[in-house]
Amino acid sequence: MMADIRVKFVSQKISKIRWRPCSRQGFGSSDVFATGSWDDESNSVSMWHLPGDSQGDEDMEDDVSDELVEKEPRLLCETLHRGDVQDLQFLGMEHLITASSSGTVSVFRHHPNSQVIGVSQEWDKLHTFPSQNNCSCTSVASQDETIVSCGEDGKMNVLIVGRRPPLRRIDNADSCTINDVIFLKQSEVVTVNSTGQLKVFDLRQPSDQPTSLFLVTGDQTALLCIDKHPTQHHVVAAGGQDGVLSVWDLRQEKYPVTLLEAHSAPMWEVKFHPNHPDHLFTCSEDGSVWHWNASTVGAASAGAGLLAGTGAGSGGGIAFAASMPGGSGPNPSHSCPWLTLDVSRHKMDITSLLPTQKNLPVNSIDIERQILLCGTDEEAIYAMELPAIR
Amino acid sequence: MGHSSKWRQSNMAERERDLHILWLPGTASCYGLQATWGMGNQLYVFPGRNPILQEDGVQAHNPEATEISEVRWDTDMHDKLIRRLVNQSHNIFMMLQSQAADASSATLKQQLVKCSKQYRSVMKACSMDLLEASDNTADEMDIERFQDQLKVFEMQELIWSLCEILFIDVAPGGRILIPLLEWLRRHFPVGFQIFKDILQQEKPEEHREYWECIYRLILQGEVEKVRSLLARHPARQTDCFLSMEELLKKMPLCSSNYKGSSLSEFEMKWRHWREDCERRLEEGDFATNKYLETVARILCGDNTVFSHLRDLCQTWYHMLISKLLYQNPTVKANDLQYYTQDCLDDFRCDGMLGDLDNILIAVFEFDSHQVLKECSGFFTSFWFAAHLTDLLHHGGCLKSHRLVFGSDLREYLLLDYAASLMSHKSLWQVGVDYLDHCPLFGRSYLEQYIEHMSYESEKKAVKLLHICERRNMTSQVKSICKVMGMRLLHNDRLGAALTWFLKSKDVAFATLVAEKFLTQYSDKGKFDNLDLIDNLGSSMLLSNRLTFLGKYREFHKLYEEREYHAAGHLLFSLLTSRLAPREFWITLLKDALGLLQLRELVYGSKQTCEMMHCLEELTKDTKHLEAGKQTTDLSELQENISLLQVALTKNLAKAIVTEGTVHPS
Repeated sequence: MMADIRVKFVSQKISKIRWRPCSRQGFGSSDVFATGSWDDESNSVSMWHLPGDSQGDEDMEDDVSDELVEKEPRLLCETLHRGDVQDLQFLGMEHLITASSSGTVSVFRHHPNSQVIGVSQEWDKLHTFPSQNNCSCTSVASQDETIVSCGEDGKMNVLIVGRRPPLRRIDNADSCTINDVIFLKQSEVVTVNSTGQLKVFDLRQPSDQPTSLFLVTGDQTALLCIDKHPTQHHVVAAGGQDGVLSVWDLRQEKYPVTLLEAHSAPMWEVKFHPNHPDHLFTCSEDGSVWHWNASTVGAASAGAGLLAGTGAGSGGGIAFAASMPGGSGPNPSHSCPWLTLDVSRHKMDITSLLPTQKNLPVNSIDIERQILLCGTDEEAIYAMELPAIR
Repeated sequence: MGHSSKWRQSNMAERERDLHILWLPGTASCYGLQATWGMGNQLYVFPGRNPILQEDGVQAHNPEATEISEVRWDTDMHDKLIRRLVNQSHNIFMMLQSQAADASSATLKQQLVKCSKQYRSVMKACSMDLLEASDNTADEMDIERFQDQLKVFEMQELIWSLCEILFIDVAPGGRILIPLLEWLRRHFPVGFQIFKDILQQEKPEEHREYWECIYRLILQGEVEKVRSLLARHPARQTDCFLSMEELLKKMPLCSSNYKGSSLSEFEMKWRHWREDCERRLEEGDFATNKYLETVARILCGDNTVFSHLRDLCQTWYHMLISKLLYQNPTVKANDLQYYTQDCLDDFRCDGMLGDLDNILIAVFEFDSHQVLKECSGFFTSFWFAAHLTDLLHHGGCLKSHRLVFGSDLREYLLLDYAASLMSHKSLWQVGVDYLDHCPLFGRSYLEQYIEHMSYESEKKAVKLLHICERRNMTSQVKSICKVMGMRLLHNDRLGAALTWFLKSKDVAFATLVAEKFLTQYSDKGKFDNLDLIDNLGSSMLLSNRLTFLGKYREFHKLYEEREYHAAGHLLFSLLTSRLAPREFWITLLKDALGLLQLRELVYGSKQTCEMMHCLEELTKDTKHLEAGKQTTDLSELQENISLLQVALTKNLAKAIVTEGTVHPS
């Protein structure tokens, strides 16, 4: 299967790439995405439009002639960003949160009518070191109006959009660097750190201690990224500095249910497909992007995934907080192929998506519907159509 | 970097006329200037040490001169629009290297041609971007800059495609003129543009440049277009027009249609046709029309008419190919050089030969080394020369001779190109791959660059680390981990620092961190980094101190879980195995105090005796107790020691009693 690939060279190394969430959950598809750059004299946050929607957008069909040029991503607007963009998340349709290598967390507002983007709120140097060194804010996550930020200082901040002082600071969240954070439920977050630990924090608890701690293996390999199953929130996948993909069942194990040797270099991002959770995507420093198709493993659960798929995306997780009492409840693990992988590994279908082998690193991926976006150190944006996902 | 500086100087000496002068503000020139190399295209300039004697014999005096200026120079590569050239050509370069490594010579030629075309299409894409940018801006400075860059790209394409024809994609059967004509038409499109213009007109023959256009087209061998123009002339039915039409129609085309026929067959046909042309000209077929007569004289390859039409040819190399088309259409590639001089002479009155002329002459002379040498001096960036050289190298067109500084031309140019990338804040990752393909100096250069690289975020450090690990650069791996670890250490991030030292298996620094953990414990009475210490696993074995730390923490856990016996034995083995640092013994013994005071017996008589020995050893060797302690602490310590002595004695008594008691089974 060869994907239809569109490439745009953008003259800056892309550290993060994110689809803007759809206005109508589950319907239509987004054609706007954001990118952040890193490691340059000046870095920027940019908004892009991806024309030529394959799912039949009527407005676009009149000109077929300049199809190739027409289908390239087009820059809508951009703005300077202080420091490397370490993380980038949409907050609804018009707001973007960025994590900076300067330790700052910023909220940008994109005005879609005038195509202007600018800072609307900033928590300057939220993450700091006692010395002059910059302390990177490595990751941000959001749930409704709540933002959680993590950094190389091992601290975690809980912020509310529109309010200046942080709602809460967890100073000793981690002895090491926190590399990624995601919301698990309404008030529960998961972090991964540079000694291969995965921690669950309940933000309602007064204690600074995690409610549970998981380990990848005994040998302290850093975990760099994490994503949760869009419908079964006790299933999380994380990528390590050694390129290994690990899958946990947060209800029971201290160690991952599945460890899959994957890339030959650090894995920078892992993403479940929001509507088809049997499909997973990973990208790596080795320059490859992999598509993991587990729909052929065990009992098919695609149907169940689709039914509950409205929970994915921004701010939709609330509905699940009630139905997911941690650890107990009905056991749906039989319908989740990611938890039974080690038994039937031979059935896993893995495809490498980029055409050439010796690419520069791929730092970021995002998938929505059938289009996978990649941001690379090659200063290119890739948009790949994957018609095989159903 | 020593090499690099020498090379640049020699390069500069060669091109003295390209000197740039930059005034450095605020530098004390009376002390002279000194400089040291930074990363690639970067110099650090600072005042010299020895004051220069001024004319009146007074020594210049400037004690405040402590400024260091950073001087950097960008190459074309650093322009935003042209950065895609760097990245896209990097892909082609990498593909070519892997193919060259394992392709047979037959397939390699195909690959080389493909790569050459890809390089050219990337240049084309950049030209298009520049054109678009130039159209979309109103800033005259920008427009001028874009236009300058466009001109450079045009020249590069001109040279590259000529090299492709003569070195890489060599036409079979030696019919070199066909691709050369295509090359000519692509780079001299004026004739074709006027042609299109004329066709739009109602009365083409009245177009101001009607005949000029015909000359231009015939000089490029565009016979069909000339015929269609002549066919639109109102006098087309006159004898002279008909005669010309017949000649043009019969002209043995230098086109691919002729591929089937043999060279000798073509030559025969050509001779016949030429004789026909000459006969008609002599018989005065075109005497009534001076324009047609000129065309006929071109067809006959008349030297004087070419000189006459010099301005339409624009350049000597256009004239060269036009002349050859009508004078020697089956010329061999190797013989091209014998025809250049005549054409050059025709253009000589314009003054000196330019750089471009010299490069093209060298191409026609198949002097690939001269071509590349001229190119690398002429174009400000090394992109062009480096990639062309690499391509020619793989095509076997370069004799491998060593340059004075030890590497061959390919490596020299690749190193210089890589240097310009490595000095760029963002493009350095591309540079790494180029250095990989420099067999002689690449590795040591990369090591130097990595050591001078700045990195703040862990993410960048991880990327650098990966680059080093993949290339087994162990000492650089160690130094990156050390830099990161030390930075975290200075910022009181002990846990995070330890992860970096564990990564590089740095025993000394892992020990240092472990000691800091222990000091922290001694000061505060609790550990701060339990999440890390509790999960050290097998990595605690890296250093004795780390092992002790892990085990000591295990003791605390056992104690908290009321596993007193296990806790007691662990503590005892820490003491007696000498794993614990001496200055920590008193802490361990104090911890033992709790166990000794329990109702149940934890330590037997033998163990108690050994612990008493430890205590005694400690009190004798007072330097471990006194070091850095206040007198108040010391008295507290004395108190502790006597407490321990009492507790141990009591425990011994208890143990002897218990051990002496026979338990009924």
